[in-house]
Order: sequence, then structure tokens, then C-alpha cells
Amino acid sequence: MPAKIALTGLGHEYVNPFTRERVLALDGLELEVAEGEFLTVVGPSGCGKTTLLSILAGLTTATRGAVLVDGRPVTGPGRDRGVVFQEFAILPWRTVERNIAHGLEIQGVPRAERAATVRRFVDLIGLRGFEKKYPHELSGGMRQRVAVARTLAANPEVMLMDEPFASVDAQTRITLQEELNTIAQATRKTILFVTHNVEEAVFLGDRCCVLSRRPGRVKALVRIDIPRARRTWKLFTSDPEFGALKDRVLRLVREEVGGEDER
Amino acid sequence: MTTRWEIVVTWAVVLGGTLAAWSLAAATLPLPDYYLPPPSAVLAALVDLTAKGILPTYVFESLRRIVLATLIGLVVGVPTGLLLGMSRGVTAFFYPLLNFFQSVSGIAWLPLMLVWFGFGEQTILIAVNYTVLFPVIFNAMLGVRSVPPLYTNALRTLGAPRWRIVRDVIVPGALPSIATGIRLGLAYGWRALIAAEMLVGAHGIGFMIFNAQNFHQTARIMLGMGIIGVLWVILDYFLLRPLEEATIARWGLVQR
Repeated sequence: MPAKIALTGLGHEYVNPFTRERVLALDGLELEVAEGEFLTVVGPSGCGKTTLLSILAGLTTATRGAVLVDGRPVTGPGRDRGVVFQEFAILPWRTVERNIAHGLEIQGVPRAERAATVRRFVDLIGLRGFEKKYPHELSGGMRQRVAVARTLAANPEVMLMDEPFASVDAQTRITLQEELNTIAQATRKTILFVTHNVEEAVFLGDRCCVLSRRPGRVKALVRIDIPRARRTWKLFTSDPEFGALKDRVLRLVREEVGGEDER
Repeated sequence: MTTRWEIVVTWAVVLGGTLAAWSLAAATLPLPDYYLPPPSAVLAALVDLTAKGILPTYVFESLRRIVLATLIGLVVGVPTGLLLGMSRGVTAFFYPLLNFFQSVSGIAWLPLMLVWFGFGEQTILIAVNYTVLFPVIFNAMLGVRSVPPLYTNALRTLGAPRWRIVRDVIVPGALPSIATGIRLGLAYGWRALIAAEMLVGAHGIGFMIFNAQNFHQTARIMLGMGIIGVLWVILDYFLLRPLEEATIARWGLVQR
């Protein structure tokens, strides 16, 4: 089966606008993601995780290498690849339901059908009763749920997620991770999820990709053969298999942190 | 926490006290009558000028001019500013230019405009429109640049075409800054209008207070000043606040 996402010889260099230094963010990165796979990407800070995601989204053009999605080169953003951003990227001037419906509006989906889809996703993210609220009236966790629902409702082939749960509190994060696990199980979408949190990467991924320190390339790919149904935080904290995988990924990441990158 | 009632009482006491002190000063200080007329004289001027129909005509004239200038500012200034803000290069070019003309207020232009356009309605309208327009254009332009690229990127990844990004992200995102521009433009414009009416002398509140000075009609001057302030408060309350309430306050973009 051909890969859903195929990256070959991917390299990216840019000029830091503040220091005016040339930065080689990625170099010779090779990666394939299968259809329906949930791939998590971890690595030391500044290793080019976000750059990688931005290139896949088509918001950044790589300076070297090939980026193929469904065998076609990525030339710009497109609705086949939905993105959930690190910060709250939902629009403050749209209500919850109008934010979730935005992708469908752009696709020209008729009003009645739009309303039905929105209702389904409002239920899925547990925000019934909040449909008419504006983002500033919601908590951080709720806002990020809306962002996830907006991307899901647009029904992309691939979901690209850039540390989406980094800015919510620990308790909410656990809930959101469990919800995402359920959603991944239900929709079988191809998901590429970038995070700096090793636990999160192991908890969510079918495979976990460890990036080297800058310039980023694939250091290791760790398969996580634990059925989605068993992935709850309660089991996660007690399961020795989870523990061993977490330690392994953590060790791989730790090898890359250190020296000049130590913070 | 102060209640509405407490605010009303406080205001009544402060206003009453000020009027009483003013009356007392006017009655006791050894000054000519026209130097400091008592509040009762100002009130008498209000009644007299209203009865003669002069005041309503002048108030209407001044309001007509400022409302017209504001409408032109909205219809011409906002789209112009939005268009200029769409391109980083264009913004960089126009920034110093607009900033310069924004600071050379309509009042500073008046002597030149009097030479060019003469002592007439035309000069007043040009001066006021100019003064309103520049802050509106300038702030609309800055508003576009202040929209977080994150929002634009989010819409691009949803597959939105350019026109939709402009309609759904750029215009609403620029609204807080547009509101600031309109508020500034209206405030500058109001001052320029009064000044222009004084110099050009064709009806209006500005003309009224300047003309009154020729005849030592100090009560009329004070009445005019009071009306300038009151009209501004009313304009602000009925024109600008509803606009903000309906948009940016509802979206949580300003703190009230």
C-alpha cells in the first residue's frame, strides 16, 4: 500500500529575522506515514517539529526534498490536510457553532447539512449548551476542543496537530488526550501529532517518531502495539508495557538533549 | 461597588456645588458683568437663542457637517485603509506619509485652505473631512496588520480562498483598530469643525461663540462651549458605543 504521507530528503533552511542567522531546521529527513496511522513526533525543543508540520500543511515551503501526500506533491495549504494549531486559532468573532461550521461553509455545504454536522461534533466534544458562546467565554480546554472539532468537521484526509494540548492544564490535557484517542479510533484518520511531551506521544501514537536535535532528521521510530481500547490514563500509569515504551522513547530524546541545547 | 443611585447623587452634589460657587463668584467679585456672567445669564442665553431659532439652526449645521464627514470617513476611509493594509510593502510606504498628514491637523491646514477655497462652506467641509479621514485610513491600515497570522493560516488550511479570508478574518480582526480610528477621527474632526466655523464664519456653534466675542456676549460663549462638550458626549454615546458593543466588546476584544 502506498504511503499516505511520504517525505524524502526533506531539508529546510531559513534566516532568523531577529539574529539574521541562517538556521538549518531540518536536514535529510525521511518519513512515511500509512493511511489511517496515528504518528506522534517528539524531539528536543528547536528540532524542527513545528517546521515539519508547517511544511506538511503547506504553510511553509521546504528548501530541499519532496513532500508527497497521496502521491501528489504539496504546493500549498489545502482542505485535504486539516491543522490544529498550538495556540487557540479559532476566531474570537465567531460563536462555537459558527467556528465549527467554518470549514463546511468554505466548502459550500448547504445550511441544513452544516447544522447537522455541527450538532454531531458539538456532542462529540461535549459542548452542548455552549453553541452560541464566543471563544472568550470558554476555558482554554473548551477552546481547543472547538479547534479540534472545526478541523474534524471539515473532514480532512489528514489531521496535522501541533502540540494542541500544550497550553491547557494537566487535568484537562488528560481528558483531551483520551477524547482524541476515542476520536482516532472512531474516524481512523491519518494523524500526525507533534508534541514535546513523551508520555503524550506514547499514549496516543501507533508509532512514535523521535527527531534528532537540529538539524532534525528521524532518529528512531518506535512502534506502540497497544490497542486503542486499552488506552486510558488509568491503565497507562499501571501497565508495564506502556512504562517500558515510555522509558525507551524518553531515553532516545534525552540522548539528543544536552550540550549546547540543554536548558 | 458604587450603585447607580450613588453616582447620580454624587453628580448632583458636584454640579450643584460648582453652580453655587460660580453664582457666588459672579455676584461678589469686583469684575465687569461681561467678564464672568452668572449661570443664570448662560441659561437665559440658552432660552433666548432657542426661542429665536438661532441655536437649533447652528446645532443642526454643526451636526450635519460632522455626521457627513464621519459617513465619508466610513465609506471612503475604511476601505482605503483596509486595502493599503493588505500588503506589507504598501503599508511600509504609506505609514510615514499617513502618520505625517494625520498630525498636520485640519486646523493647521485652514489658513492655506482659506486661500485656496475661500471663506465658505467648501473650506469647512474639506478641513473637517480631511481631519476625519486620515486617522480612519491610518488605523484601518494598522488594523489589518494587527490581525494574527495564525487566524489567516487557520483559514488557509481550511481551504479558504483569498476573498473569504478578507471577509471572515481581516475585516473583523481589524475592527478594534477601525473603531479607534473612527473615534479619533471624530474627536479631531469635531475640534477642526469648531475652529473652521470660527474662521470661516458661516453658521455653526464655532461661528456663534467667535461672533459673540465681538459683542462681549460672554454668556453666549460659555453656552456654546457647554454645547460643544454636551454634543460630543451625545455623539460618543449614541454613535460610537453602540458600534463597539455590537462588535468588539461582544467578541471579548476589549476590556470594559
